[in-house]
Amino acid sequence: MKTQELMDVALKAGEILLTSGAEIYRVEDTVTRICRSYNVECYSFVLPTGIFISMTRKAQQSVSAIKRIKERRVDLYRIELINGFSRSLQSNPVTYEEAVKILKNIEGTRRYPFGVRLLLAGMEAFAFTLLLKSSIAEGLAALFISMFIYAFKGKVEEIGFFQFFEYFISGIIAGGAALIAVKAVSGLNIYKTIIGSIIILLPGVAITSGIKDALYGDIVSSLARLGEAIFIAVAVGAGVGIMLSVGLPWV
Amino acid sequence: MQEIILAFTGSLCAAALFNASRKNLFWTGLSGAFGWVTFSWLYSATQQAMLATFLGAVTVGLYSEIMARVVKSPATVFSVSGIFPIVPGIAAYSTIQYLVENKLEEAAGKAVETLAQAGAIAFGILLATAVFRFGARLSKESKSKDP
Repeated sequence: MKTQELMDVALKAGEILLTSGAEIYRVEDTVTRICRSYNVECYSFVLPTGIFISMTRKAQQSVSAIKRIKERRVDLYRIELINGFSRSLQSNPVTYEEAVKILKNIEGTRRYPFGVRLLLAGMEAFAFTLLLKSSIAEGLAALFISMFIYAFKGKVEEIGFFQFFEYFISGIIAGGAALIAVKAVSGLNIYKTIIGSIIILLPGVAITSGIKDALYGDIVSSLARLGEAIFIAVAVGAGVGIMLSVGLPWV
Repeated sequence: MQEIILAFTGSLCAAALFNASRKNLFWTGLSGAFGWVTFSWLYSATQQAMLATFLGAVTVGLYSEIMARVVKSPATVFSVSGIFPIVPGIAAYSTIQYLVENKLEEAAGKAVETLAQAGAIAFGILLATAVFRFGARLSKESKSKDP
């Protein structure tokens, strides 16, 4: 494989990993591992928003490339596939055409159908609301609100607004829907209902992986991720807060 | 028992929303159930949220590393979904809630709690990973010393 072609493959693998929400150290390790499988020396520097790779082959000029990453969404299946691909290269370095074909296939993997994901979002809200020692009615309210938010957020994502705007609007919907639910059904605790219904939006995992990045020594990425998590929490909280401060007197 | 099923469902749904592959779904649910059982048992026994969170995360971490070797998938698949029930999303949200309500002192308290819990989880997972890496290195070294 030529150095330029190897760069293509490594960059694509790194991009898929990063857009699937993999940890920084995993992206760097994978890029280095792919290059080592073809006996090319390589340095990679990865941030949550971009990949930088530089490769040198003996007695040749070095090749570098940069890739900007804009969208990130957790996709465990792709991480798993790329991980397997990069490890299989170590024992069996395939040709450029084959590698590109494999990566295309990985990129083309589908998520679960929308209806199933919608149902899952509802189920999750229901389970967590009950874990917080709430009543079944609160759980059911959270289930419906959460499904509604998920459907709405999916639609907004397709249109392609700002990421944080989605979260803000979702917060407003959660607050508004919970107010209506509390008004309609007596005896619901509004805070438990709201917390249950926004559990799918909350950045708990992002905060934890931000700290995990720091523990691996990727300080810059860690701060970026923590920042992102804080912005998400602020966006959701602001949306809910606005609705509550307007609507609480009404309830 | 009811809580175990809830934690199981919660983690399984989270894993599926994160698009984990079908063969792993059951195991990710189990990961969350283990984490939650450790957490809630310790919490009711000692009333210390940090300790309970930390050991819950250690359980999830150990389980993930073991499952990673059994089903040959990255450990992250199991740990990301497994920590879902104990992750401080609610504390993060309450921080903002207090800020909006202009209760600044409570907000600061909740913010610290969020970071501390997230730190406890991250350290817990990392401890499990470190133990496994250390073990792998030890076994490699003892093999290379053999004639």
